Amino acid sequence: MGKRGQKQGIHSRATRKQIFRIYLIQAVIGIGLSAALLLKDTVTAYSALLGAVLYLIPNLYFASRALKSNPNQSPNTALVELYASEIWKMGISIVAFAAVFILVKPLNPFSLFVTFILMQISGWIAQMNLNNRFLKL
Amino acid sequence: MEQSLVYLAAALMMGLSAIGAAVGIGMLGGKFLEGAARQPELVPLLRSQFFIVMGLVDAVPMIGVGLGMYLLFAV
Repeated sequence: MGKRGQKQGIHSRATRKQIFRIYLIQAVIGIGLSAALLLKDTVTAYSALLGAVLYLIPNLYFASRALKSNPNQSPNTALVELYASEIWKMGISIVAFAAVFILVKPLNPFSLFVTFILMQISGWIAQMNLNNRFLKL
Repeated sequence: MEQSLVYLAAALMMGLSAIGAAVGIGMLGGKFLEGAARQPELVPLLRSQFFIVMGLVDAVPMIGVGLGMYLLFAV
C-alpha cells in the first residue's frame, strides 16, 4: 500500500496545485474584466465581479474537498467524496446566487451572467489544455 | 398569471438541468468504478480525470441554476 499510496498522494497534490493555479488565473481575469468595466459603469463592474466570485467560491470548495490527498482512499470512498463535494458545490451556488439576487440592488444581470459564462468557458479550455493525458483515456 | 409562468420557467430550467447533470454524472461515476475495477493502479489518474470531466458536465446546469435563481428572485 505504501508505494501506491505515495503515488496517489503525489498525483492528487500535483493536480490540486494545477487546478488552483487555473483558479488564480481566472480570478485575475475576473478582476481585470471588472476593472475594465469600471470605465463604463460602477454597477456593471461590480456585477461582473460578482459573476466571477459566484463561479470561484463553489469551485474552490469543490477542488479543495475533492482533491484532498488521502493515500488510503478506496475507489468507492473517492467516488462518494467526489459526489458529496459536487452536491455541496451545487448547494453553495444556489445559496450564493439567491443571496446576490436578494441582497444586491441595483444589479446588471447581463454583466453578471456574461462574466459567469466566460469564467466557465475559460475553465473548460484551461483544464483541457492543462491535462495532456486527457485525450489518451 | 405572468408570475406563475416565470416560476414555471425557473422550475423547468432547473429541473431539466438537474436531469442532464444527474445522467452525466451518474454515467461518469459508473465508468470511474469500472475503470478502477479493471486497473486499480490507475485510480489516482482516473480521479483527476473524473474531477476535470465533472467540471465540464456540471457547467451548463450551473448556468441553468443561476438563471433560474434570477427568475425566482429578481424578476
